[in-house]
Amino acid sequence: MSKKNWLFSIVLLLALILAACAPAASPQTQAPEATQPPAVEQPTEAIQPTEAMQPTEPPPAAQPSETPAQAEHKVATFIWTQEFDSLNPYYTNMWFSGVTQQIWDSWAWDFDEENNPIPVLVKEIPSTDNGGISADGTVITLHLRDDIKWSDGEPLTSADFKFTYDMVLNPANAVTSVTPYDLLASLETPDDRTVVMTFKEPYAPWLGTLWHGLLPQHVLQPVFDSDGTIDNAEWNRKPTVSAGPYVFAEWESGSYTRFVANENYWGPKPKIDEIFFRFVPDDASQVAALKTGDGDLGTFISYADIPTVKDAGVQIFTVFSGYNEGWYMYLDPEKGHPALQDINVRKALAMAFNRQKINDDLLLGLTKPAVTYWDNTPYADPSLTAYPFDPEQAKKLLDDAGWVDSNGDGVRDKDGVDLELTYGTTTREIRQDTQAVAQQQLADVGVKLDLSNYDSDIFFSGYAEGGPAATGQLDIMEWSDTTQFPDPEVAYWLCSEIPSADSPSGTNWQAICDPELDQLFQQEAKQVDFAARQQTFYKISKMIYDKVYWLGLWQDPDIWAVGSRLQNVKLSGATPFFNIAEWDLK
Amino acid sequence: MTRYIIRRILQAIPLLFLISVVLFVLMQNMGDPLATMGGRTMTRKADRERLTRQLGLDQPIYMQYIYWLVGNDWTKVDLNGDGIANTPGRRLGILRGDFGTSLVNRGQPALQVIWDRLPNTLLLMISAEFIIIVFSILIGIYSALRQYSLTDHVITAVSFIGYSMPIFFIALVTMYIFSVNFKRWGLPYLPTVGMFDPQVGKTPLQVLWHMILPVFSIAFISLAGYSRYIRGTMLEVMGQDYIRTAKSKGIPHRDVIFIHALKNASLPIVTIVGLDLPLLLGGAVVTERIFAWPGMGRLFLDHLSRVDTPVIMGILMLISVAVVVFQLITDITYAWLDPRIRYE
Repeated sequence: MSKKNWLFSIVLLLALILAACAPAASPQTQAPEATQPPAVEQPTEAIQPTEAMQPTEPPPAAQPSETPAQAEHKVATFIWTQEFDSLNPYYTNMWFSGVTQQIWDSWAWDFDEENNPIPVLVKEIPSTDNGGISADGTVITLHLRDDIKWSDGEPLTSADFKFTYDMVLNPANAVTSVTPYDLLASLETPDDRTVVMTFKEPYAPWLGTLWHGLLPQHVLQPVFDSDGTIDNAEWNRKPTVSAGPYVFAEWESGSYTRFVANENYWGPKPKIDEIFFRFVPDDASQVAALKTGDGDLGTFISYADIPTVKDAGVQIFTVFSGYNEGWYMYLDPEKGHPALQDINVRKALAMAFNRQKINDDLLLGLTKPAVTYWDNTPYADPSLTAYPFDPEQAKKLLDDAGWVDSNGDGVRDKDGVDLELTYGTTTREIRQDTQAVAQQQLADVGVKLDLSNYDSDIFFSGYAEGGPAATGQLDIMEWSDTTQFPDPEVAYWLCSEIPSADSPSGTNWQAICDPELDQLFQQEAKQVDFAARQQTFYKISKMIYDKVYWLGLWQDPDIWAVGSRLQNVKLSGATPFFNIAEWDLK
Repeated sequence: MTRYIIRRILQAIPLLFLISVVLFVLMQNMGDPLATMGGRTMTRKADRERLTRQLGLDQPIYMQYIYWLVGNDWTKVDLNGDGIANTPGRRLGILRGDFGTSLVNRGQPALQVIWDRLPNTLLLMISAEFIIIVFSILIGIYSALRQYSLTDHVITAVSFIGYSMPIFFIALVTMYIFSVNFKRWGLPYLPTVGMFDPQVGKTPLQVLWHMILPVFSIAFISLAGYSRYIRGTMLEVMGQDYIRTAKSKGIPHRDVIFIHALKNASLPIVTIVGLDLPLLLGGAVVTERIFAWPGMGRLFLDHLSRVDTPVIMGILMLISVAVVVFQLITDITYAWLDPRIRYE
């Protein structure tokens, strides 16, 4: 007995020594992972974006901090299932990194819980009425606030805008995306409060795509001058100078990232002292952490966990950010399946597949079928409703189209070709379940589906890498995507985006080239006037619906779990933490 | 012996080279690092073309391997897409200690990415391995000495339960019992995830407190197998003539077991420990994920899912080297344990 105690003491001692040897809270960087659209499912009470994007009031100027009394240090713990790869907004494509921008960096404007723009660094949102947008829609002028500054006290000026623009476009910098800055003919800064952007041609999606984060020139210019690139800048991993309510404190790889209140913040002082992001990759562990209070905020929790999380006093916020799960069909006139070329066959598929049942049973009734790609935005034609589940009508459409079961094998055929379609998606469980239901229901109308699943990085591989979806190996492909939310812009249906050996990076994997639709997309992209653009999108959404160029399966909002300690929480689909400074802890 | 060691090291060089070629080729088929870059949307056409060029992914695979191995500072690369290679390369290659730059954590050296995680993994894995070895020896010897006693039967039963349980199950069950339910019942409860409580900070006590569940999960599973193994070899050795001789000479019981029996029984144990130790570097993929422990296992999975060739190759080569080294150490330990073994 005494020997055992002795041994246990040794073990304990050793563990203590080892723990003490671990690098103590040394701020380190780096981040892992991601792949594919993270699991997003069901809404409960979806927050609906309103009609046109109405600019609202700018935030009030800096107020003297209210109670300097040394109260308790308030730390809010956010559970993040994916770690950031980079914190430089121009070096990441990760949602999990991008949405932190409102916490520590500033955008020119944010979007509120109804996805209306709120001016942040600018005095007002440019419009044709206030002269911010030229009559022809090509010149956009920003007037910066006078009081904005970086967290180290340096003023934030138009030079930082110009610097950000230069860095993004410089070929020495391997930034994630150069759009839309490559569409600018010029960016000028007549004074340190004014930024004048001249586009080569009118560019309608500017509000949803421009100025998602600013780079501090006084920090990064010296790095660029000495290294010739900012790819390896320390700021990308430790952005200790920023312009948001919080500022970066430390990042330990795989473990956590801390942001602390920015003493020099020019807006209202944040109420919580520290935002602590803890990286917890496992969904079940995230739920456990939310239940025990080890986490105050979680994201993308599985719909199956919603009831138990609610029981533990956690609130569920359902926020629409433009995502819809849907079928993309490969319609290449030569290489595609002949049956899918026929609109009526595609309509038959829509009617033979009970998508409401998928939403009711697999998604626990928390979602509804997506009618258009622009559901819950002002851009979907409101007259459209989802195709009904009507197998008899589906059979009739198929019969009329000439697809009949002539050889009695249970599968319709025409001219010796069976109506047998390949249907592939990622390995996500809900997608596999959907495939199984679709296979069964379509078999009832004589359509055979061959199912396949791929790891998301294989599935989403490009044309050059031989990705199964990109190279037309699948007749039906399923995934979830959004627009340049809250802007409705999307490139999936442009003829120029069809991938080929000469242009392997195209994203129109469906190989749909409908000149009329293409023309409408070209037209809306230049319509700076909201009402005119909305009308064009009504036509686009109706055409895609009528021709079944895309079949919506379910609306795919973001699910947030908000712990009972958190107060004043509002969440936006486009910029979730737009009012983070007002959040408080009980 | 020195000659033997030198020969083994020389033999390892072509082996590691071969391993690196095979792994590098396999990595090219893992998917497309630019497909989504961790985002929820696909990369745009123009950006994909530009990044393929800037990150050197447009090169044929053998050139990518050569750059990885010996660097590209002897040649020029095309960054701006004008078709003219006019920018001098900056990479030094793994042979000169440059593991490349992570494709995920853009701009960060792959070695740094790995290095950041290594201490956490070693802390977790060495603690667990230490507990496994100590307790499995104690349990194994105890069961061997009291074969078919009630205690032996109980230990056998628990071992089989432990051995047959998947680690994710034991990890989640212990988390739900000792964290979630204990909290609900108003008892002192263990933390669910992470290495420390942000409100308190990263103190050794906090880390120890957060280590309990993950270490228990790893140890419980492996303890079962190890202790059965030791029980078996001890039973075999205890039946040998020299043990009977030792006993009849009146040597104290403890010395008979720990000096005469255990030393001879440990040869097969050294083999399995020697195989397990280098894999400790790889971390515990499942346990680290569930308990959000920032170790190598998670790093590997996270970066593999985004086809981060430099980081993944770095981890794999590190483990390969460790396997080679530990096999050599194992062989040397054999000779020490059993003087009959000679390497000439």
